Amino acid sequence: MNLEIKNLDVAYGNGGHSIQALEDVSLKIDQGRCLALVGESGSGKTTLGKACLGLLPNNARQRGCILIDGQEIDTNDETALNTIRWERVAMVFQNGAANLNPAHRIIDQVAEPLIQHRGVGRDEARGHAAKVLEEMGLPEEFFDRYPHQLSGGQAQRVLLSMAMILDPGVLILDEPTSALDALTKGVVSRVIEEGMSRGKAILLITHDLEFAVRSADSMAVLYLGQIMETLPADELFSNPLHPYTLALKRSYPAMNSARDLGGIRGDAFYRTIHQHGHEDESDYLHSHIQVPESSHKDGHAPPSGCLFWQRCTQAIEECQKGRVRFEQAGAHTVRCLRRGIVDMLELKDVEKRYDSVAALFPVDLTVKAGEIFSLVGETGSGKTTLAMTAAGVIRPDQGSRLFEGHDMDRWMKKDYKSLARRIGVIYQNPAESISHRFSVLETVAEPLDIHRVGLEKGERVERVKKCLADVHLSTDRAFLERYPHELNMGALQRICLARALVLGPRLLIADEPTSSLDPSVQAKVLKLLLDLQIERGLTMLFVSHDIGLVRKISDRIGVMLQGQMVERGPASSILSQPCHPYTRLLIESVRGVFSVELNRGNNRQYASGCAFASRCPDRRDICDKQPPPLRNIGHVQVACHFPVERPL
Amino acid sequence: MHVNVSRDLWQDPWFLVGLSLTLLFAGLALLGPPLAPFDPWDISFSPISPPSATHLLGINDGGQDIFSELLYAIRNTVAFGLLSGFTALGIGVILGAVSGWFGGFVDAILMRIADIILAIPAIMILILTAALFQPAAYILALILASLMWPTISKAIRAQTLSLRESLHVRAASQMGGGSWHIIRRHLIPEMFPLYLIGFASKTRMAIFMEASLAFLGLFDPSRKSLGMMIAYALKYYYMEVWWNWLMPPILCLSLVIMGITFFAISLERVVDPRLRQALVEKTA
Repeated sequence: MNLEIKNLDVAYGNGGHSIQALEDVSLKIDQGRCLALVGESGSGKTTLGKACLGLLPNNARQRGCILIDGQEIDTNDETALNTIRWERVAMVFQNGAANLNPAHRIIDQVAEPLIQHRGVGRDEARGHAAKVLEEMGLPEEFFDRYPHQLSGGQAQRVLLSMAMILDPGVLILDEPTSALDALTKGVVSRVIEEGMSRGKAILLITHDLEFAVRSADSMAVLYLGQIMETLPADELFSNPLHPYTLALKRSYPAMNSARDLGGIRGDAFYRTIHQHGHEDESDYLHSHIQVPESSHKDGHAPPSGCLFWQRCTQAIEECQKGRVRFEQAGAHTVRCLRRGIVDMLELKDVEKRYDSVAALFPVDLTVKAGEIFSLVGETGSGKTTLAMTAAGVIRPDQGSRLFEGHDMDRWMKKDYKSLARRIGVIYQNPAESISHRFSVLETVAEPLDIHRVGLEKGERVERVKKCLADVHLSTDRAFLERYPHELNMGALQRICLARALVLGPRLLIADEPTSSLDPSVQAKVLKLLLDLQIERGLTMLFVSHDIGLVRKISDRIGVMLQGQMVERGPASSILSQPCHPYTRLLIESVRGVFSVELNRGNNRQYASGCAFASRCPDRRDICDKQPPPLRNIGHVQVACHFPVERPL
Repeated sequence: MHVNVSRDLWQDPWFLVGLSLTLLFAGLALLGPPLAPFDPWDISFSPISPPSATHLLGINDGGQDIFSELLYAIRNTVAFGLLSGFTALGIGVILGAVSGWFGGFVDAILMRIADIILAIPAIMILILTAALFQPAAYILALILASLMWPTISKAIRAQTLSLRESLHVRAASQMGGGSWHIIRRHLIPEMFPLYLIGFASKTRMAIFMEASLAFLGLFDPSRKSLGMMIAYALKYYYMEVWWNWLMPPILCLSLVIMGITFFAISLERVVDPRLRQALVEKTA
C-alpha cells in the first residue's frame, strides 16, 4: 500500500485564536518505503500521524486530503474510518504504557483488534497474539501481565505488536524509540525493515535522527507545520540543504560527530491565526508566529514569508516577504527562498606569492552560511594567508573572491566599509591586536566609531556593554576604563571577540584565537565562540594547527599543506577516516604517535608532483612527477594519487 | 595616556624641576609685562646705574630699567621658541605620518624635500632673511619651523612604517578604518614620546636661534630679547656690570632650556612603558 498526503492544512481552534499545526504538507510514501518525519517538538509531527487515522480532536480544522492506495480518507465517516484503522493503517503512539488499558492483560489487548475486526475466536486470536509478541522479543511469562508491570520498553513492544497484528499496509510509528535503550531499538529497527520488505509504507515520526537515518529511505523535515526539506535519509548528516536541517543535525548527539552540540538560535515558536470568520486563503495572511511565553503579543512576526527566518543563519530581507515554495535541488526538495544553504564565502583559485616564495597555490575555499569551517595544517602551510585573503586583508595575486555571492574586489573598491562590517576578524595575539593606548571601551567601540554607528548619546556605550555582556565580561564603569596591560590574555581575547562582533558581522574569521591561552581559558573562549555562533547564527572560518581543538567545533575541515588544500570535507569523515596520508599524520601526531620518518621536516619547495611525497609512506614514482588530482570520495575531496580508504 | 601618570610623575625630580622652571618662565612670559615696574623703552633714568630698591637690576647704558627689559625679553624669546617648536612639530608629525602611512609616491616626494631642507644650514637662511627683509619676529619663527621639521618627520615616518605593520593597526584597517582614522587614533597617539623629544629639541633650538639672531643684531633693535641684552651687556663688560646686566639674561636663557628639557625627559619616561618600569624600580 502507499500513503499520500496532499496539501494538508490543520489548525486547532483555541478561543479567538487558533493554532496552525500543519500547513501545505504534501508527502508520498510508496509501498516498501519508509519516510522519517523529523523536527522539533511542536512542529506538528504527531498531528500529521493522527490526521492519517482521522484521529484529530474536534477542535481541529483540516483541509487537503489523505489518500491510502489512491483512496481518500473521509474523516467524517466514522465507520469507514474504523475499518481503515488497524486494518489498513496502524499507528504506534508515543508514551508506550499510557496508551494501554491498565485493566486488561497485555495479550488480550494485543489480540483485541483481531477479534474486533476479523471476528476471530478468542483462543485463536490469543495464539496469534502470542506469536507476534514473541517475534517482538517479549518472553512468554510477560504475556499475562498487566501494563503497569511492564517497563517502558516492553510496553512499547506491546504497542508494536498491536499495530502489527492485523498486518496493515501502512504503519505509522510515533516516536517508537524515545523510551527505548539502544539495544531495544534494534527490535523497532527490525520491525521497520521487515515491514518494508513486505511492502508496507512506513511513516516514522521521530526526533532520533540517527535512528531515522539508519531506518528510513527518505526524510522530511518539519518546522512549525511546514515541511522545510525532503531528502534521502543518508544525506542528513553529510549534506543537509536547508539551514534548519543543518541546525537540527547539529543539535543531535550523533556518534560519528566529535563536534560539541550546538542548538538552534532563538526560541521555537508556535503559530496562531486570528479568526476573522472566513476560512479561506486569507487565513494565511493573518497568521502570526508567537513566542509561547507572550502569546498575546502580536504583529512582530511576518504575516507571510519564511517561517524560519528569525532563527535562520542566512536570512535576507526577502525572506520576510513573499511566500516560499518548494524547489527541487538534486535529490532534495527545499522550502527556502535562497534554495537551501548558500555559500557565504567562495574563493576560487586564489594564489599569493611573496617574492619567490609561493604562499598559496591555486586554492578553492567555500564556507557555507551558518557553518564552522576549520583550516588545519602545520606552520607555514598557508592557513593564515588563506584566512586573511578571505578577510580581505591580503589581496591575492590571482583568483576570484565572492562574499555573499558578490565579487569582493569590486565590493572593496566601491564600498569597503559595508564589506568590513560583515566580516569580523579575531587575531592570534590579542595583546598585539589591541592598541595599548585604548581603554576597553575605546577598543570595543572602535568599529562603531569607524562606521559612525551609535552616534546618539549613550547608545555607543550601551552597545559596547551589550557586546561585553555577550562575551561574559564585566560591564561596569571601572572595567570599561581599564587598559589592556591590566587584563589577562583570556579577557583580552574576549575583548577582541566583542570588538569583532559589535557591528553584527555575518562571517567571523578567527585566526588561531586560542593559541596564546592556557587550556582552561581556551575552553572558556571556545565555548563562548560556539554559543555566540549559535546565538547569532554566525558563519565561522576557524584557523588552527590543533586538530584536537578543531574536532570539537568544526562542521567541515580543510587540511592545508604548503599552500594547497589537500583534503576537505565534513569534519566527522575527515577525523574518522582521513584519506590523505598527511591528514593521518596530523591526527596521529596529536595522539602522540610520532613517526620520525614522517615527521622529517619538509623544507624544499617542490617543483612538480605531490607536496607530501618526500614524507609520504605510500610514495610511488608518480607522486614525484605528477601533481595529484582532486578526487571525490564520498563527500570528501582529496588531492592524492593513492588516497587511503580505511578508517584511522 | 593609559598610564597612571600623576603618581609616577610627582615622584620624579626631573619632572618637578622641569615643571617648576617651565611654569616659572611661562608665568613670567605671560605676566611679565604687567609685572614690570617700568616701561622698558623709557630712557629717562640715569644710564648705567647699579641695582637699587627701585631698579632691582639697575639701569642700562640707554637709561632703561634692566629688570623690566628682562621681563619683556623673556616673553619674546619664549614665544619665539614655542611658536617655532610647535609649528615644526605640527608639520613634522603630519608629513611624517602621511609619508609613512601612504608610502609610495607621496613618501618619495616628501622625503626628498626633507633631505633638501636638511642640507640647508638654517642659521644662514635666517641671517640672510633677517638682514635682507627685516621681517617680523613671528615670520622668522615660522621660517625656522619650516627648516626644522625634517628631523621630526624622519623619526615619525620610521615609527609609522613599523606601526603600520602592527596588528592593531592592521585590525583597524580591516574593520574599515580609513587612513584618517588610523593616523588620528593609532599613529599619532602611539608616537607621543617622539613628539616630546622633537618638540623639546626644536624649541630649544629655536630659543637659541632667536638669542643668536638678536645677539647679532638682526632684529629690530627696539625689540627686547635675551640675546640682544647679552650683546649690549657685553659691550660694557669692563664696567663691572656683568652680574646685574649680563648674568640675568644668560641665566634665564639657560634655565628656560633646562626647564623644557627636564620636562620632556620626565614625560617621555613616564609615557614609555619600558622607561617607566625603570623609573618605578628606582623610586620604589
